[in-house]
Amino acid sequence: MGITYLETVILSILKRINGERTIYSLFHLLQGKRSSQTIQDAHLYKITPYFHTYPSVTREGLEKMINRLQHRGLVEEIADTKVILTGKGEATLEQKLSEYRLPDYLNGWKYHQVTDSFWERLTLLIQVSSNLINHERSFIPVRNKRETLTWVKQYIKQQNEDRCKLAERLYGELTSALDNEKTKPELVVIRLTGYRKIGLTTMQAAEWIGLEPAHYHFEFLNCLHAMFDKVLENSHAYPLLNGLIKKAERNVPLTISTDKTYKLMQKGYTLEEIAAVRNLKQSTIEDHVVEIALSIKEFNIDHYVPLNKRESILQAAQRNSAKKLKQIKEQVTDASYFEIRLVLAKYGDVEWS
Amino acid sequence: MELKRYLKKHFKFEEFRPGQEETIESVLKGKHTISMLPTGTGKSLCYQLPGYLVDGPVLIVSPLLSLMQDQVEQMMAMGEKRVIALNSFLSPQQKAKALEELERFRFIFISPEMLGIESVLNRIRKVSVSLFVVDEAHCISQWGYDFRPDYLKLGEFREKLGQPLTLALTATASKEVRKDIAEKLHLGDWNEVVYSVDRPAISLALEFASTFQDKLDRTVELVKYLKGPGIIYFSSKKVAEQTAVHMREKGIKNAMAYHGGLDSESRVLIQQQFINGQLDVVCATSAFGMGINKENVRYVIHFHMPMQIESYLQEIGRAARDGRDSIAILIYSPGDEQLAYQLAEGELPDQYQIERLFAFIIDNQIVYKDLADRAEELSIICGFTEIQWRIVEDYLSNLEALDYKIDKQSLLQLIENRLEVKNTKIKKMLGWVHTKECKRKVILEMFGEELQERPRNCCISCGIDIDHYKETEPSSEQSLAAVDWKQELASILLMRERI
Ligand SMILES: [Zn+2]
Repeated sequence: MGITYLETVILSILKRINGERTIYSLFHLLQGKRSSQTIQDAHLYKITPYFHTYPSVTREGLEKMINRLQHRGLVEEIADTKVILTGKGEATLEQKLSEYRLPDYLNGWKYHQVTDSFWERLTLLIQVSSNLINHERSFIPVRNKRETLTWVKQYIKQQNEDRCKLAERLYGELTSALDNEKTKPELVVIRLTGYRKIGLTTMQAAEWIGLEPAHYHFEFLNCLHAMFDKVLENSHAYPLLNGLIKKAERNVPLTISTDKTYKLMQKGYTLEEIAAVRNLKQSTIEDHVVEIALSIKEFNIDHYVPLNKRESILQAAQRNSAKKLKQIKEQVTDASYFEIRLVLAKYGDVEWS
Repeated sequence: MELKRYLKKHFKFEEFRPGQEETIESVLKGKHTISMLPTGTGKSLCYQLPGYLVDGPVLIVSPLLSLMQDQVEQMMAMGEKRVIALNSFLSPQQKAKALEELERFRFIFISPEMLGIESVLNRIRKVSVSLFVVDEAHCISQWGYDFRPDYLKLGEFREKLGQPLTLALTATASKEVRKDIAEKLHLGDWNEVVYSVDRPAISLALEFASTFQDKLDRTVELVKYLKGPGIIYFSSKKVAEQTAVHMREKGIKNAMAYHGGLDSESRVLIQQQFINGQLDVVCATSAFGMGINKENVRYVIHFHMPMQIESYLQEIGRAARDGRDSIAILIYSPGDEQLAYQLAEGELPDQYQIERLFAFIIDNQIVYKDLADRAEELSIICGFTEIQWRIVEDYLSNLEALDYKIDKQSLLQLIENRLEVKNTKIKKMLGWVHTKECKRKVILEMFGEELQERPRNCCISCGIDIDHYKETEPSSEQSLAAVDWKQELASILLMRERI
């Protein structure tokens, strides 16, 4: 039975969530909703690569797709808007995954805030460079955001280099950074605009390569994210490309409300005091702390969870391998749910599993 | 003589196009001017050139954001740096910065809403505008085909700016509309430069198709037959999109759809691909073509009947900018006008929506001046589209008195009148479709002109030799099959000798 690429992605995420969250958590994940709940779930179920990777998804679109999957017996509803894969669903997914891999390098959580702006800057920089070396000064830029236009203009000035050299360096960095046997760099290159050659739109590119649009989209992101990995790992080898990646936001910032809480914490307020000052529920503040632990590597949780309790929680988590907080709680009776979530948030990806 | 020198210096053109010189002369003599030049004759030059000859900036009011953006981009592409667009695209910080540095700009484009903001208007007053330009000026007139309520206040704004020298530009405006423009802008005395709406290089063809499928088949057939590039206009995004897909399936590889539903990257790319000759045909809604300069469009097909003859003229006017023979073909199926009537009705709020609105206003004792702040809430409650809401808000927020019952009646009356105007336009258009007389002559009569000379292949009534528009050169099939991506990158970024 044929299922689309997008359906394969959805199935593989549903498998991870395993009916413990509603299908709307998937909507928030793909859309990249910056709420503590979504961010925690993404980490808990190890589906962070998909964060904000399909922002055009709609509630209705997702509902319809899941209805179709249900109709074909690939998933079943176990509670209201919670579904799990059926045996047939598992088999179909497995079979699809043997036909094609899901993107290896996709990392929505890490790169969701730089991907779009990088692509805007890169396409414009290439168009400008290409026209400059061909002595063409009047052309319509493929980007119309003033912000991007001024940024790229400034960037070129900053390089303070002969235009031919600049284009050559860009070529050199791109051919090296894009080169990767596990990705398809041509998916990126056919979208580029140069002197008297306008790049393809997403739809055109997908049609040209013969992939369904969603499949193309994920492969395209995969390619960019693979390039980001390379560039950031070895930034001095790719000075031009590295400079195109938004600096200030390379560390994932906090949601606005969480940021307020964080600032108060840094001033030494206790969680109770913050809840009182901000007129928020204690549980909301706790959500914020968990988000901080997920987003800020240096954040130290010792103050909130004593070392021995932390160890017990991690051990319980490993024994269970299930992500059910309830099971962990049953084994570490003196730990609160907040403490468990906080420990999992902090160490979940590294030591756990 | 003098002016031509500047034309060469600033724009590298040798000759003016019809009407440009007269318009510029009139403006430079200090006369308020209403200038009606056909599309494709470079209306923007009429204010750009004076911009270099007068002291103080030129302020250009433009109704459509996309149009404004296109114009600014074109000017920047031509090397003019002192140009800015003040519109809702700007972030608050960008807006503040632009206003602060306003003296720096020679050309300031602005949307009517932005001009309505008092602090902005006051700031502009300080830079003493040398020329106040109203682009697409027919939008100010209720009788114009594209009436925009927010244009109505331009007269008032103009007063507040100290009645600067004014140039009103339009492509299509009948005598009564031109008079209305002058009145609404409080011009008093004015000059008119009027050029014929006739485009003799464009042959006016009309075909009948009995069903939707026939129409689709015929469109594909025409696209394969005619010399391109061409544009096909649709009233529906969905049909435009489907037809483009259908054409690609039928072997017309370089066909794409263009409409407001696309993301901005795709819109820019498709437009540029078309200009650059990478596309043979674009299936578009009326959003396409505004402000793009492509000289060699050879045909324009109308898949749906436009809602008024003015839009039809504007759209076919995108052909033959180089003056070479081109053809416009409208394909009509019985009942097509129903779609037009539906669209006209859909643009206006209906009685039920107005009843709901007033019920809510009365329940909550809302005063009209607070309406703008509750736009979103009220739009949801009453189910207004953006256009519908604009009409309602604009009308009510200008009312002095506050008698809910009377105001409701007068608003309903306004809507009814507006619908009447639109329906009359559709009927006129339909009449033109069915007339057996010379199509060109009938159009010119609508604009108070007389047909002087009948060109060859004038129109379907006078007779057209369709072979004249046939593609004779074999198609250059340039497929992108199997690229070597490194080579592709090299061709973009390395100079020829290094590849
Ligand atoms: Zn005729």
